[in-house]
Amino acid sequence: MSAYNSLTYNASLCIGCGECMMACAKAKTGSADDLSQSRIKIVVAEEGKYEAALCRQCGDAKCVMNCPSGALTKNQANGLIDWNADTCVNCLLCTVGCVYGGITFEASVGHVAKCDTCGGDPACVKVCKSGALGYVTTAAIYNDYGKEEDLFAPGLAACQGCNSELMIRHVLRKVGKNVVVAAPPGCIPGMGTVGYNGKAGAKVPIFHPLLTNTASMLAGLKRTYERQGREVTALALAGDGGASDVGFQSLSGAAERGERILFICFDNEGYMNTGMQASSATSFGSWTSTTPVGDKLQGKRTDAKNMPMVMMMHNAAYVATASSVYMEDFYEKLDKALEASKKGFAYLHLYAPCPSGWRFPAGLTIDICRLMVESNFVTLWDYEPDRGLVFTHPTDKPKPLESYLKAIGKYRHLAQEQVDRIKKLLEDRLAMLKRFAR
Amino acid sequence: MTVQTKAKGKIIVVDGNEAAAKGVALARPDVVAVYPITPQSSLVEALSAMIATGELDAELMNVEGEHSVLSALQGAALAGARTYTATSGPGLAFMFEPYIRQPGLRLPMVASLVTRDTLTPQCVWGGHQDAMLVRECGWIHMYCETVQEILDTVIMGYKVAEHPEIMLPVNVNHDGNYLSFGVTSCELPDQAMVDDFLGPKSINWHAALDPERPMSVDPLTGNAGGAGPSMFVRYRKGQTDAMARSLQVICDVHADWAKRTGRAHAPLVEEYRLDDAEIALVTLGSMTGAAKDCCDALRDAGKRVGIIKVKTYRPFPVQAMARALSKVKAVGVVDRSVSYGWNSGPMHHDVLAAMAKSGFVKPCVSFIGGLAGADMTQSHFERAFDIVAKGDVPPGPIWMNEKD
Amino acid sequence: MQDCTYLIVGSSHAGLTALDAIRMIDPEAPLIMATREDHLPYSPTVLPYVVSGRSIPKKVALRDEDYFKRQNVAFLRNAELKSLDVAASTARFEGGANVRYEKLLLATGAQPSIPPIPGLKDAFFHVLRTMDDALNLKSAMGSAKSALVLGAGLIGTHAAENMAEAGVKVTIVEAKGQVLPGYFDKDASALIETAFRKHGIALEFGRSVKEIKQGRAVLEDGAELPFDLLLIATGVRPQLSFLDGTGVKTANGIMVDEMQRTSAANVWAAGDCAEARMFQAQGTGVAGILPIAVEQGRIAGQAMVGDHGVKAFPGSVLLNTYSFFGQQAISVGIGEVADGETCLRIDEAAGTYLKIVLKDGKLMGVASVNNPIDPGILWQLILRRTDLSEVKDRFLADPKAVGRMLMSRLWR
Repeated sequence: MSAYNSLTYNASLCIGCGECMMACAKAKTGSADDLSQSRIKIVVAEEGKYEAALCRQCGDAKCVMNCPSGALTKNQANGLIDWNADTCVNCLLCTVGCVYGGITFEASVGHVAKCDTCGGDPACVKVCKSGALGYVTTAAIYNDYGKEEDLFAPGLAACQGCNSELMIRHVLRKVGKNVVVAAPPGCIPGMGTVGYNGKAGAKVPIFHPLLTNTASMLAGLKRTYERQGREVTALALAGDGGASDVGFQSLSGAAERGERILFICFDNEGYMNTGMQASSATSFGSWTSTTPVGDKLQGKRTDAKNMPMVMMMHNAAYVATASSVYMEDFYEKLDKALEASKKGFAYLHLYAPCPSGWRFPAGLTIDICRLMVESNFVTLWDYEPDRGLVFTHPTDKPKPLESYLKAIGKYRHLAQEQVDRIKKLLEDRLAMLKRFAR
Repeated sequence: MTVQTKAKGKIIVVDGNEAAAKGVALARPDVVAVYPITPQSSLVEALSAMIATGELDAELMNVEGEHSVLSALQGAALAGARTYTATSGPGLAFMFEPYIRQPGLRLPMVASLVTRDTLTPQCVWGGHQDAMLVRECGWIHMYCETVQEILDTVIMGYKVAEHPEIMLPVNVNHDGNYLSFGVTSCELPDQAMVDDFLGPKSINWHAALDPERPMSVDPLTGNAGGAGPSMFVRYRKGQTDAMARSLQVICDVHADWAKRTGRAHAPLVEEYRLDDAEIALVTLGSMTGAAKDCCDALRDAGKRVGIIKVKTYRPFPVQAMARALSKVKAVGVVDRSVSYGWNSGPMHHDVLAAMAKSGFVKPCVSFIGGLAGADMTQSHFERAFDIVAKGDVPPGPIWMNEKD
Repeated sequence: MQDCTYLIVGSSHAGLTALDAIRMIDPEAPLIMATREDHLPYSPTVLPYVVSGRSIPKKVALRDEDYFKRQNVAFLRNAELKSLDVAASTARFEGGANVRYEKLLLATGAQPSIPPIPGLKDAFFHVLRTMDDALNLKSAMGSAKSALVLGAGLIGTHAAENMAEAGVKVTIVEAKGQVLPGYFDKDASALIETAFRKHGIALEFGRSVKEIKQGRAVLEDGAELPFDLLLIATGVRPQLSFLDGTGVKTANGIMVDEMQRTSAANVWAAGDCAEARMFQAQGTGVAGILPIAVEQGRIAGQAMVGDHGVKAFPGSVLLNTYSFFGQQAISVGIGEVADGETCLRIDEAAGTYLKIVLKDGKLMGVASVNNPIDPGILWQLILRRTDLSEVKDRFLADPKAVGRMLMSRLWR
């Protein structure tokens, strides 16, 4: 199985010229005269604004489930919903299942019709001048790395919706087997990556260092392999506690010495493995089990230490922030970090919202990741000493901060002045980062 | 007792810290991690200098604290490196977290403890309190009496630590101030001889972080049921069994060393003029020199006194101690540290326990002296012999420097 | 005694959708799917097309053998559920096989409901609910010259069309005054009826059969209708005798809550055998339509496997699609509502019809004949109670374009 290509439609670019519908009708019927023959339908939303109805080639397509004759099937090879004229009985139940207007009855041909992406070369996209239509592999990453072996054991005991488990699997897929992994106490070994009672959790050498010594322990290991003339990646998969609290001294020391380590911090803003206690990375106002909410206290009273900025100040060979919602960006940064870690210290800070500890539904992890970035609650950037800081996601049009805070239970109690303080902090922080930007 | 029969190496004039450094260099470690602390600093300075000049081919890690020193060395050892460091007092306390882990990982190494009294009062001078605080962590502890013994024991320490039946870390302890800075001549063993003596490195055959031998090192082990607790017990028992086995290995290694160098350091317990003695003092470390001088003087005066010097303190050599104690009617145990829980010196109750375990009880007086760098002179030991000779055992310790 | 984690009884849409939902989360736990049929899974909805010859049995299987192998499912054929012991979590099947389950889904569907007409039980008649029924009807239809169909619902009208197209003289008797009562109003039905009459099908509305005699039906008014072939299509109802003595709550179907749970622990029900809440009416009902069976099967499967993504069943919205003589009729929601606002457009000449019912700016129902709409979008607008006030005029003018615009925005 691989990732599939998709037609994309960007409504803000569409000028409603109708060229796509003409091209589609022509491709499907030989004539552009009858636009009702088009399988892509551009509709007027309001003056000068348009929307589109077309088949989304759903993963769990209701049209397929509703088909009584087996005429509609999900093609596992190319991801399309295939329609079989031979078995279709024209019952129209598929049109009941579709909420996009993607499969519709076409009176002139006497049966339902839907987009088949012209066999992978969609005619509509070719004629779209505005750039509203695209044909992309939305998960090209998956094609690149999906075949790489998942080097963690199946069945790790992370919470449902755990961002960290998702990302450590991605990381090792990319890094490969020539690695030594150090996973200090926290969610990552807690979910069983280092193993449990004699059973292993990974297919690579992996160690349970102290919460305090991940970076120095890896430094000694790496220096030994360098002395032996062997190139082995020394990789830390640490939490924010192991990076910014008790692990900070060894991290700072290793960065200062330019140890050839890739240190990835999975920042879930606290000690989530042990019951959601606050760390220095916990954001201001957050409820945690050690910054509770009551008459006297209303969550964490101090701002989060900004570890990536601190690491940038160490003049590390590479520092970047990343979010699992922008995987291409993440992989690009992982590549750079890996390369940089051959010459010096590389630090990757991954924002890892935690459904269990932050109090949001497990199914929303990726949405929260997205909101976090889009509201400028965190910023995505990377830094190299000879190049400076570069923002990798625009910060100029943030979504309202409230949309992020309101989505998360740990901020439910926030008073307006607390929200205002967070806003001010984020503005100041962004302004400061911008001063480092190229 | 040091008997020089054949001098193979060249004679050098060094202090204890430099001697330790020379011994380390002869053992050819792969990685040395350093962080300075009084009175250890000149030791790591000497090592750094040797690495700088190329005299020692090792990776030097100048890390930001003792915690990272030992952490880095654990990582190095898991990649197969022979490792070394040295620390003292507060540095050892800061190192405690990785320190207590090293024996459980069964990672062999040698680390010098340049012993120092512990805070508070703020104090930078000699005393055994730092080493005594970590006596139950699973490291082998050997205490040196002389500069030569430091040099020799550092080398022997690797042979003990890396013995396949042992695989444990070894602390070679020498007294801050008196040994660390005391300059004397000693013999520098021949490198080829040391290479042959130590043989090939044997560090991480059992637990490695190596992509060519992927394994999970130190997964969670335990819990209320299932395979965990019994697995944990087997790890622990393996560790204590290895400690027990090490007494014989220490003897064998010392014997081998004596054969090669002519220097026969007592491996566990040294009996000095004990055969016809009526009373004896049990000593540890550099104080033994003054104690032996005192003993000689009293012998000249016709008194039947002797000295029992402890070299290997952990594991405690119960049989060797019992054999020595069996020769006298009463003993005094001179500690350079205190046991807060027993209102005595710590070695005092080790000696009491050794007697109890061996089925006899003799008068045994606790002396505490040499704290915070205080000098332990012949007259201190003369007074101690006097007290033991009287046969009274006071309820608490005798504080030897209280009225100096 | 066989043991399994999941037992699904019934292999049509509700059961299959539940199976897929379970296997999405739990690919391994032992799962048995039992069907009283000898066939691979198929949909009753496709049967009229088997009768007409548009489909043939081997082409309509919804899953093949390999699917069950891949999904690690034991597929039991010819296994009709006879009784349940819900206390012991045991199901007994025809032929004596016993299965002990941890979780059970009843997706047993419905069976034709046979009216108590004197003489009927001694007469030879057809029904159309199973593949065997369809094959029997298809073969009988070949030699019949005249056919009488009791009931003008979906099955009756579909079959009548099939038989008329095959050259059989068909009469439909329907007690109510129109075809497809419940889905379409009289105006819409009139358009459909026109097509039927044009194809030579006699429609006898508001009449009922008093007695069946050899080769003829006697109506209430004494008139007699002769037939070579009699098809009973007066509706379906779940056959639930396997629940006797279990105490599982039933009404017209097995009572279920919003997670498709029955009143018995670890027993779920979905599809045509389940009685669930209605979305636009008080009380509960057996929806008896395919898209609702799919919804319910999915919810039941997710609930059984503990999928946290499960969302409660919002209630059945009546909806259907109906093709007849190459024409199309679609209805979504309800056609009449007190204090509602109705927009009606009929073009008798063109044979088109569109009725949109709104109340308080929200969509209540749409019915159309030969006037293509997107029923899936309209269903969503009803379920989401989308406020259409701002786009009302445009919506009434072009429900398709506005519906698509709203959905495109919503799902961006």
